[in-house]
Amino acid sequence: MTGPPRINAEERDLVAAAQAGDREAFSGLVRLHQRRAYLVARAIVTVHEDAEDALQDGFVRAFQALDRFDPSQTFGAWLNRIVANAALDLTRRRKVRNTEELTDALRSPFRDPAENAELRERLAEALGKLPERARSVIVLHDVEGYTHVEIGEMLGIPGGTARSDLHHARQKLRELLKDLRG
Amino acid sequence: MTDELKFPDPLERRVPRDADALDERTARAIHEAYLPPLTHGEVENNYWSALEQRIMARVASANPAQREQGYWSVLNGWAQVGLVAAAALFAIGGLVSQRLGEPEEQVAYESVVPTSSTPEAVSAPAALLTASGSSAQRDAALQYVLSY
Repeated sequence: MTGPPRINAEERDLVAAAQAGDREAFSGLVRLHQRRAYLVARAIVTVHEDAEDALQDGFVRAFQALDRFDPSQTFGAWLNRIVANAALDLTRRRKVRNTEELTDALRSPFRDPAENAELRERLAEALGKLPERARSVIVLHDVEGYTHVEIGEMLGIPGGTARSDLHHARQKLRELLKDLRG
Repeated sequence: MTDELKFPDPLERRVPRDADALDERTARAIHEAYLPPLTHGEVENNYWSALEQRIMARVASANPAQREQGYWSVLNGWAQVGLVAAAALFAIGGLVSQRLGEPEEQVAYESVVPTSSTPEAVSAPAALLTASGSSAQRDAALQYVLSY
């Protein structure tokens, strides 16, 4: 968290061109960042279709606010905050989803055929039972590797709250998966 | 360029895993569960290319006029309506208060400045002060009041 953020030259050029109105350059930024941004959206909304909607909303908002982006910052971090906001807006508009719906959303076939089917099923069930924010925090931190501060900025909560949510989410998840471990 | 098309691996972490973190197997399994589902036979890169095209179609249809107006663009229309409504209310309020205020002012004025009957103790100076028309009369009245 010390020193200026590292920005690669390709991204810096794309940002400068996109800010000058080059849509191809913005398309390049989409190509570079859509996968991580999708995971941020998915960590918040859980359902794949909602994550796609939030991602598209987020990129449109980013495009419209591009003039306000400070090129000395990393585009990815800025974009992730916008996408996370779009995802949070979407969850507010959607009715509360029940556990079964969320479990189904996470039951998609694993890409790794060697992955344990029971683990997949139990994980989907356990994640569906976690409170919404706790689920987002544990996925963003323990799975995708974002810091408490970054998560706090994305979810609009203090970093300390993200840390305490993470602690409770880990405890709950371990409890739900305890007979699977060993 | 091919590296950019690879999905971010959860093990390529920027933040070191702490002692209390979920074990690697569980983290990887959750990461897998959060990847977009692919339809039968679909190649992952095709999915991302298609999504990129959908995003760019949305960007292209976004109104360029909306760019860089932020939240204020929502208020622009309402601000004009609000200003007109406030001006109209102000004008109507002024008229109404003027009309309603007139009789009250009259009553208040008459209660302070007697017009016909005046108490004996103040009747002489007050009558002189209020009834005097010319400056000579006012001076005389002033002299009369000061002499007491």
